[in-house]
Amino acid sequence: MWAVYEYSFKFWQPNWPLEVIAGRNCIRLSPVTSALPRRFLLAGTASLLVPLAIAPLRSQTAEAGADHEITDWILIASSGDVTLGLSQPEVGQGSYTVLPQILADELDADWQRVKVRFVTGRETYKIAFKNEPPVQKEGASMSTTVLYSRLRTAGAAARGVLIRAAADHWKVTANQCRAEKGFVIGPNGQRLSYGALAADAAKLPLDPAPHLKDRAQFTLVGKPLPRLDSKAKSTGTAIFGIDVVVPDMLHAAIRSAPTFTGSLTAIRNEAEILRMAGVRAVVRLPAVHVANEEPGSQHPGLAQEARHNAVCVVADRFWQAKRAADALDLAFDPGAGGDLSTAGIDGLLHQALDVEKAVTAVETGRPREILAERAGSVIERRFVLPHIAHAPLEPVNATASYKDGTVEVWGPIQAVAACQDAIAASVGVKAEAIKINVTFLGGSFGRKIVPDYVVQAVLASKAVGRPVKLLRTRQQDLRHGIFRVNAGGRFRAVLDDQGYPLAVQARVVGQSLFGATRKSWLDQTPEGAWDESMVDGIYNQDYRLANFLVETIDTPLPVPVYFMRSVGSTAAVFFWESFISELAHRAGIDQYTYRRTLLAGNPLALRVLDAVAEAARWSTPPIPGTVRGIAYNCYIGRGGRFKTYVAQVVELVPAADRLALKRVFCAVDPGLVVNPNTLAAQIEGGIGFALTTALHSRITFADGGAEQTNFLDYPLLSIDEMPEIVPIILPSDRPPQGFGEVVLAPVAPAIAQALLQSSGRRIDTMPLPAEAFRR
Amino acid sequence: MARFTLRLNGTTRSVDVDGDTPLLWVLRDDLGLTGTKFGCGAALCGACTVFVGDVPTRSCSLPVSAVGISEITTIEGVTGPEAAAVQHAWIAGDVPQCGYCQSGQIISAIALLKAIRRPSDRDIDLAMSGNLCRCATYVRIRAAIHDAARALGG
Repeated sequence: MWAVYEYSFKFWQPNWPLEVIAGRNCIRLSPVTSALPRRFLLAGTASLLVPLAIAPLRSQTAEAGADHEITDWILIASSGDVTLGLSQPEVGQGSYTVLPQILADELDADWQRVKVRFVTGRETYKIAFKNEPPVQKEGASMSTTVLYSRLRTAGAAARGVLIRAAADHWKVTANQCRAEKGFVIGPNGQRLSYGALAADAAKLPLDPAPHLKDRAQFTLVGKPLPRLDSKAKSTGTAIFGIDVVVPDMLHAAIRSAPTFTGSLTAIRNEAEILRMAGVRAVVRLPAVHVANEEPGSQHPGLAQEARHNAVCVVADRFWQAKRAADALDLAFDPGAGGDLSTAGIDGLLHQALDVEKAVTAVETGRPREILAERAGSVIERRFVLPHIAHAPLEPVNATASYKDGTVEVWGPIQAVAACQDAIAASVGVKAEAIKINVTFLGGSFGRKIVPDYVVQAVLASKAVGRPVKLLRTRQQDLRHGIFRVNAGGRFRAVLDDQGYPLAVQARVVGQSLFGATRKSWLDQTPEGAWDESMVDGIYNQDYRLANFLVETIDTPLPVPVYFMRSVGSTAAVFFWESFISELAHRAGIDQYTYRRTLLAGNPLALRVLDAVAEAARWSTPPIPGTVRGIAYNCYIGRGGRFKTYVAQVVELVPAADRLALKRVFCAVDPGLVVNPNTLAAQIEGGIGFALTTALHSRITFADGGAEQTNFLDYPLLSIDEMPEIVPIILPSDRPPQGFGEVVLAPVAPAIAQALLQSSGRRIDTMPLPAEAFRR
Repeated sequence: MARFTLRLNGTTRSVDVDGDTPLLWVLRDDLGLTGTKFGCGAALCGACTVFVGDVPTRSCSLPVSAVGISEITTIEGVTGPEAAAVQHAWIAGDVPQCGYCQSGQIISAIALLKAIRRPSDRDIDLAMSGNLCRCATYVRIRAAIHDAARALGG
C-alpha cells in the first residue's frame, strides 16, 4: 500500500558480532578493560545469532574502521558506517525501524549506511511509565512518545560535534557548515564524511540542548520507510528466542501444577524418566509468580516460594525432553485455590455488581441523588467479561547459562531490568553478574514482561551445570499463562428531555490488575483504593456529563494476571461505548450525532469522529442489508503521558445466514507520525488483535486452574475473518503520541452497536456470542 | 535411535534420532534450520509449515519416520519463481510485524500460487486460514499474495 523505497537495505547481517558500547570517547572497550560494572557494558544485537563473538580488546581495535562513540546512541566507524542504538525490544511494533529513523534524521545520517543494535546499561535507555523509577522496558505504548525528543536531542548533538569537527578542520565557523546524508559540507562546497570526522567529533563536548530541526527540515521522520526487519523475517533468518543455540546447550520441557496454588508432592516415576532416551535430569522448580512489587522497585515483582509447582525434564533434544515431561507421573496438592472455577469467579462479579458500597473513583454533580429521584426511569445495562490470554505465537522460552555465580540469558524479553532483578532474586547473584541478550520477540503483548519463564530456565541450568533452553509447549504456555483480568460492569443512567444523559453511574468490578501486581499504582481514597486500569476510558472519558459517578470494586482471585495490550480499555471501553450506544438507541438519536453532541467543545475528539463518519459516508444510508456501528475513544497513556484520539466505523454485511464484518474505518490523531507505514500496520494489526478478543477469547477455570490448552479451544482470528481496514491518519502539530494499543478498544463496541441497531439484540459479554450475528 | 536420510533443500542429510521425532524438531534441533517455527505442536497454527514434495505440511505433526524419500523444502531452501515473487512481495509490502509466523505463511502462499496462478480472495481464505498470525498481518498477507500473483503474470 505504501510506495516501496528504492533503498537497498543491508542492515541485517546474520553474523554481526555481539559488541560492546562503552564509555563515551572510547573505542570498543572490552569488559576487561573497563572500570564500569559488567551490566553496564552489555549490548546484544537485536537480531542475535550465536555463538557470540566477544568484542575484541582495545589494542586490537584501534585501527581504521573502529567505531567511535559519539553519544550513548550513536557509533560511527571511520568507514562511515553508522550504528544506532535501539533500547526497546522489537516485538512487532516496529521500534527497530522507527526509533533509529528519529535518530538518523537529526543526525543527518545516510540511511542506507545505518545499522541497528540493541543496547542496554545506560541511564538514558530507561523510561518511567507512571510513578516508578525509570527502567529499560518496552510497554504502555510509550517507546516513541518518550524517546522522540531524547533521540532527536542525541542525533542533533552528534550532528553538532561532527559539524564542529569539520569547521575546526577547515578553520571556519560551525554555522558556515551544514550536514547532509553522512557528510559535512563547508562554505566552499568542501565535504568531509562522518567517518573521517568521527574520531575528532568523539572528543568534542556535546551540546546538551542542541538546535533541533523544524518539521519542514525532516528528511526521514514522517516518511513511510520500509521496516528494517522485513527481509530477515521473510527469509527465516531473523533470530527469535526459540532459535538461540549456545555451545553445550541442553533442552528442557516443563510440566506445571494444574492449580495456581498447587504444590508438587511426588514424582512417582523419576527413575523411569531418567532412563528415557536423551534425558539428563529431572529438576523440581520452585513456584515463581507475579507478586506485588515493593514501592519503588521495578516491575513486575516476582516471588519465589518454598513450594515446588513445576518439574522440568532436561534432555539432549527438545523432543526427548517433551516426551519425557509428558510421561512424568506427578502428584500435586491443589492448595487453597483448588476449587477455583469460572462459576465461582462470575458469582463474585455478579455479587459485586449488586452490593451497596463501592469505591468512588470519580463523582461530579449529583448523580446519586438524580438516579434515586428518578428511579423509575433508570436505564441499566450489565456486562461480564472473562479472563483472556496473550497467546503470543512464540511460546515463552529462554536459554540460560548459570556458571560460577554468573548468569547469561538469551531470549524474547520485553523488560530487561525486571528480568535481571528476577534472576538476581531467584539465584542470589548480583545484577552485575547477569548478562541479558534480547532477541526478536515472536509476539508478546505484555506476556514477556513477566520473566517467570526466564527464571525457570536459569534454575534448570543451575541444576544441571550446563546451558539450558527451556521452551513451554503451547499447552504449558496457555494453561499456565499470566492472564488479562476479568471484568463486570453495571451502568445506569437517566436521560433528559432531549434524550441525553442527565446522570450516569458507571460501576466496574473484577480482579484488580494493580491490586494484584502494583499496589503503588492504586489511587487511594477514604473509602479504599481504586485501580484506574479497571475504568480506563471511563473515569477519564470525554463525553460532557454534568452528573457522573464512577465506582470500582476489586474481587481478588488467585489467578495470575498481568498487563495485556490495551490493558483495561478493551473491557472498560466495551462497556462504556456499548452503554452510550444503548442511551442513543433509547433516545432514538443517530449514534454519530449523539456522540458528536456529547463531544461538543472538544475539537480533537470531534475531528476524528467527523473524519471517520465522512470516510464511511455515515450520513448516506448503507446499501440494504449492511449494518454499521460507530465508536470513539481517547486513549490516555499511563500517567497522562499521551492522548491518542480514535474513532471507528464497522460495516457488517449479509453472508449466508449471518452478518460478517466486512470493513473497519479507523480515524486516528496520534500526533506526529514518525513512520506512516508502521503506524498503518499497527492500525491493521491492532484491529485484528481486538477481533480475536471480541470473537474468540475466553479462558475458563475449573478445579483450580485454566482449562484451555491450544488453539482449538483458544482460537485466534484467521485470515478469512479479517475485514478490510481503511486507515485515516489525521495530521497533527502535536509530538508523537502512543499508538501500539490505542485502536483495540473501540472495535467490539462498534460491532455490538451495529447488531443492536439492526436487530435490537443486546450483547453483554465477550466473546460476542455467535448467535448475535445470525440474520 | 535410528538413522534417517532426508532429501532436504536440494541436498541429502542424515540424522540419528528417535523415529517418532516430528520433522520440525529434526529440522530445528538436529539440522540447525530454525526458520521453521514451533507454535502449537498440533497442526493448528501453521508456523511449522514446510513443503513435503509439493504439499505444504505441518512439520510439528509429521514423524521423521514417515517422511521417507519425499523432498523436504524449508523457508531456507525455497526457490523458483513463485518463491521469489512471494518473498519479494512480502518484503516490499512490509508484511511481518513480530514475524514469527511468516515462514509458514510464505510456504503456504507459495503453494497457493503454484496451484492457482491468480487466486481470488476466497482462494486465499481457503489456502491461508490454517496459518495463524497473532499480530493479524492478514491485510498485508492478502495484498502481498495478490502482488506476487501479478508479478508472476497470473
